[in-house]
Amino acid sequence: MSTIRSAARRGRVTESRLFVPLIALGLILLFDLLFVPGFFNLEMKDGHLYGSLVDILRNSAPTVALAIGMTIVIATGGVDLSVGAIMAIAASVACILIDPRIIGLNLAGNIQAVVGDPTYSFVPIPVVIIAALLVAVVCGLWNGGLVAFGRIQPMVATLILMIAGRGIAQLITNSIKIIIFNDTFAFIGNGFVVLPFSLFVVTALLVGTWLLTRRTAIGLFVESVGISFRASLYSGINEKRIKLFAYAFSGFCAGVAALIAVSSIRTSDANQIGLYTELDAILAVVIGGTVLGAGGRFSLLGSVIGALVIQATQTSMYAIGVPASAITAVKAMMVIIVILLYSPQAQDLFKRAGARIGRRQVTA
Amino acid sequence: MMQSLSVRLANNRKFLPLGATIALFALAFVGGMILFPAMRDGQAFLNLFITTPFLLILVVGEGLVIISGGIDLSVSGVLALTTVASAALLRDGWDPWVVIALMLAMGLVFGAVMGMFIAFLKVQPFIATLAGMWLARGLCYIISDSEVRIYNPLWKLLAGTKILIPGLADPVTKKGDYVTVLVVIALAVLAVGMYIAHFTKFGRTIYSIGGGGGMNEQSSRLMGLRVDRTKVQVYMLSGFCSALAGIVYSIYVGSGHGTHATGMELTAIAAVVIGGMALTGGEGYLIGGLFGVLITALIQSLIQFNGQLSSWWTSIVIGALMLVFIGIQAMLASWNARQLTARRLGIAGSQGGMARRRRPWRDRRFLIGAGVVIAVFVGIQVIGGSSSPGSGGAAAACTLKPFRQDQAAELVKAGAVIAYERNGGSGCVDELYAIYPDGRITADNGSQVIEKQASPEEVQALLGGISDLGWFTDNMYSTSETQCGQCFTYYTTVSHNGQEKTVKAVDGGTATPANYWLVTSRLSAVLPAFGPSPQ
Repeated sequence: MSTIRSAARRGRVTESRLFVPLIALGLILLFDLLFVPGFFNLEMKDGHLYGSLVDILRNSAPTVALAIGMTIVIATGGVDLSVGAIMAIAASVACILIDPRIIGLNLAGNIQAVVGDPTYSFVPIPVVIIAALLVAVVCGLWNGGLVAFGRIQPMVATLILMIAGRGIAQLITNSIKIIIFNDTFAFIGNGFVVLPFSLFVVTALLVGTWLLTRRTAIGLFVESVGISFRASLYSGINEKRIKLFAYAFSGFCAGVAALIAVSSIRTSDANQIGLYTELDAILAVVIGGTVLGAGGRFSLLGSVIGALVIQATQTSMYAIGVPASAITAVKAMMVIIVILLYSPQAQDLFKRAGARIGRRQVTA
Repeated sequence: MMQSLSVRLANNRKFLPLGATIALFALAFVGGMILFPAMRDGQAFLNLFITTPFLLILVVGEGLVIISGGIDLSVSGVLALTTVASAALLRDGWDPWVVIALMLAMGLVFGAVMGMFIAFLKVQPFIATLAGMWLARGLCYIISDSEVRIYNPLWKLLAGTKILIPGLADPVTKKGDYVTVLVVIALAVLAVGMYIAHFTKFGRTIYSIGGGGGMNEQSSRLMGLRVDRTKVQVYMLSGFCSALAGIVYSIYVGSGHGTHATGMELTAIAAVVIGGMALTGGEGYLIGGLFGVLITALIQSLIQFNGQLSSWWTSIVIGALMLVFIGIQAMLASWNARQLTARRLGIAGSQGGMARRRRPWRDRRFLIGAGVVIAVFVGIQVIGGSSSPGSGGAAAACTLKPFRQDQAAELVKAGAVIAYERNGGSGCVDELYAIYPDGRITADNGSQVIEKQASPEEVQALLGGISDLGWFTDNMYSTSETQCGQCFTYYTTVSHNGQEKTVKAVDGGTATPANYWLVTSRLSAVLPAFGPSPQ
């Protein structure tokens, strides 16, 4: 009797959505434990916690933020390719509001005197943050409008902004890299409250999203639209509004990611910020077990772990001396492994193996 | 008469996106010829082909994949891998023909593996080809971290041979309008692609499995078509085209590097969409891809001829054009669906049917698309209008002066540790700065010479900082991108601890090392500023 229950429980564990991402994360950390000496060392310096583990958490913050938004979009059966471009736009807006001298606005006073001034900001920092997030949400609404009201395929609709977005970002900053000297703003990505401040931002985003989707009906609506928008429509859900919400929310998350990214490197570079991050975010969601292209059930925590898996792999590869440029090959290997793990053939194999183990235990 | 026209329109509606593409190209080209006299030269038209043979080859492969209902993100990755691998093999003295054969085989294998993932493991094409792209880009750097130059005579021969156009060129003096061998190769690939798509069983299968949101694939399967095999073959074909495009690209630029053609998969997809092929699959013509490529090249050269607009307008205009063409396709799709419903209800051809047929023009999608295009153009007008009073009419006539690199080299020889030249911008400046170890900073913009005194410690800190940013490592490299209308071009020479290195970069250049901008911003923080120029 007890063996049957344990077999059933084992089945539940392997079928859990968090199983694969957690195993992946565990394998990478095991690899680090064996091959990278001192990987798990943590140090307290002036009240800040340092170490490779903290680095992983801190560097993954923008990807985690993007992955949260991307999860909701993918759950509605769509995909958002434009998040990297939205990041570039939001970052440019934030930088230009902090330091508009660069585009030649006529400002009083000596320009050279304020360069390097850690307190200088053209508009108050809260306004900068709100403006950047607002712009990101508007970009998201544009995507959502095309998908929901234009009935354009999500991949195509968001591709437009993906291509045009970087151009728009360059337009905002006149293609000039703006260095940020303001310390208050830089605190978002660089600050420490024992742990890096960006972690708290991302955690707040995760908890907020979780409450929004799991403690209100929105999560249910998102899943139902993803499974069948027609059925949702007939059962009285305003599927257009849900889709609009999903893309706007993804835009918002991209805005948060942009603020973290731009403040941590203190430079707005429209060409580099968020480059290829949309692919990382999609990969994180796929590793997390939310199915791309199908829509329906989603797992926020899975996506977050997925983003951590990507960052942990990168950090460990750097730690063992793989050059930064060859990292993409490692990422490709990761995608291939994930593909194989989630393929119907492999799933079938798992199920059969699980059943065989269960049967053996029952007969024993 | 009217009746027959409308019937003819209705029957040939599938040609509408293609027609729109060709019309747009013709319109934009004629507009360009009116605005810029330099474009009236026949060579200006041929240059559209000469600068894009690799893109056209990519578009043929990508187009077939998209018609089959998939997408291939790996094309630019395989292209870059081919450039690096062929450059490395040629450097090691391999026979060029063997290298070409090997590269094409590699493209086929790459495509086959991705195709098998998609066809048999039922992986989303987006994910499978994304992995392909990352793998190819990563392999580039495993082969070689730095750029590998190609000195092979065959490569040089193919790059240098000009094919004169009969009637437009003088065969005796070998002057006149010409195309390159690469253009001929690209057009041949297009011809073969069109033959495959429209005149073979394989091509018809590609069309039949695309579109319908996966429904057509199901019906094709039920009809007994070999869907899985066709899918693998399509991705193999795309891999082959990418490898061929890689060889063409390596001939075109004369080197192999992992950063070659970054983001070109997006340009290829955009050209396919602008060319009238539906991203949902099953519709469109490969010949449209040619015009898609020509339009993207035309936008670029129009922006260059204009000289006032920056190069990043290219991506914005391409995005807007994509929106328009996607709008046209969505409109057509809804048109067809409506007709299908009407026919099912048995009222096709009646008065009601005719009235319904007109309605799509009032479709929301069309309005959204039109509104956006108008908004973009109004935006351009507003920005153009607001910037013109500041820059004045003189800026329009600005011709860029060549770099004064010899002068910069002399300054360094005379003891300067940093020589920094800034060229271009909306004011069309040409400024040469020199920083000396004793803290003296001189600047010369051709009409004005200014000087500033900093402390020697500041200069040392600056030099140390630049050195720490990896100035003397391989991570800091010059890019060969051409200058856009309003961008600055920077030419920086740093001499520190017995090392000397010069790096050139362009604003808006996508391949420029990120640290370069940290260096320029540190420099501009200490450099003196020119006052208003004396008239």
